[in-house]
Amino acid sequence: MHTISSRVSNVSAFLSSCIMGLVLAVAVTSALYQMYQTPPAGELAVTNLKVLPGKGRYSRKYGTRQQEFAFVNLNLTADLSPLFHWNTKQLFLYVSAEYTDQQGTVNDVVIWDRIVRRKEDANISSNIHNKYRFKAMSPTFQNVPPAQYTLKYNVMPYIGMLAWGEAARTSEPIPFPEAHQLS
Amino acid sequence: MFADEFKALRRLGFRHVLLQVLNFIQVLASGFMMWKGLGLVTNTESPIVVVLSGSMEPAFYRGDLLFLTNPSAKRYATGDITVYKIPGADIPIVHRVLETHDVVSKDYVAASPLAQPQLILTKGDNNPVDDLDLYQGLEWLERRHIIGKVQGFLPYVGYVTIAMNDFPQLKYALLGGLGLLALIQRE
Repeated sequence: MHTISSRVSNVSAFLSSCIMGLVLAVAVTSALYQMYQTPPAGELAVTNLKVLPGKGRYSRKYGTRQQEFAFVNLNLTADLSPLFHWNTKQLFLYVSAEYTDQQGTVNDVVIWDRIVRRKEDANISSNIHNKYRFKAMSPTFQNVPPAQYTLKYNVMPYIGMLAWGEAARTSEPIPFPEAHQLS
Repeated sequence: MFADEFKALRRLGFRHVLLQVLNFIQVLASGFMMWKGLGLVTNTESPIVVVLSGSMEPAFYRGDLLFLTNPSAKRYATGDITVYKIPGADIPIVHRVLETHDVVSKDYVAASPLAQPQLILTKGDNNPVDDLDLYQGLEWLERRHIIGKVQGFLPYVGYVTIAMNDFPQLKYALLGGLGLLALIQRE
């Protein structure tokens, strides 16, 4: 029978399986491409690190308390344009500080991030400073061991699997200086 | 309007109708089984979620579909996009991990390092500040609040469920139509 309804249903079924096949092909090929791609290597260096006392919001329950904050200036050079392929919607870049404190707590704190939406903007060479408050679990940085700073990325696709990776790391842990006294 | 269909139904007899009802139930049951099986494999209570807010724009928009996993042997890391639900809040939230603190408790010796608590702070990519105000008095997020980590992404498809929530008539029309089709279909 070649009625209108059967034609419509055939065409729409064919179209939807075509779209599903295309989507699957894009997702699988880009995931494989990402898996075998050599990860980009950049450079990250701390140019300035200061610790200043201040008043930090501790929690809604406990209110504010005296708290030291670290202020980090970094120099970041990385060419992340190879991460842009046919299925990259955007890159989410973030710099985090990693350190294990004296209580044995492993800390990982994101201090800066950026969303890159175009391949032309992915070749990064800039001086950055922390966007988010960087404080230790304790009120002071006094006995906090040196921290490593890393640049990581998250490749976010138009469709399919997300991928994560590390693009740069400071060559050695950087110790926290004495807190400045504000008078 | 449906006279022909009713005539066909009467001709096929009661047993055939029963068989069609059975088929329909089977379809529903296998769908439910697949959902629960996927939940078992990925170790989350809901392996597929729909984005309901714009706090992760421009990565995720309202109506996008996210696929989650929650591997029990892996900790969460900064940069992971998590879906979490605070007890007392009615909808789960999709936000990115900003801070992790893997605490070592002095009170007990854990059987595995993963048994130690992990304190997590999250933030939406499109929000200017972190989520402390969303935690309803909690200071940190912990693993038990987290439903899963976003691993896969499919745009637009989830808008169907948002539309069905906004216009319940659509849901009933769809369900009724499907049920009628299942009854009437001959093969």
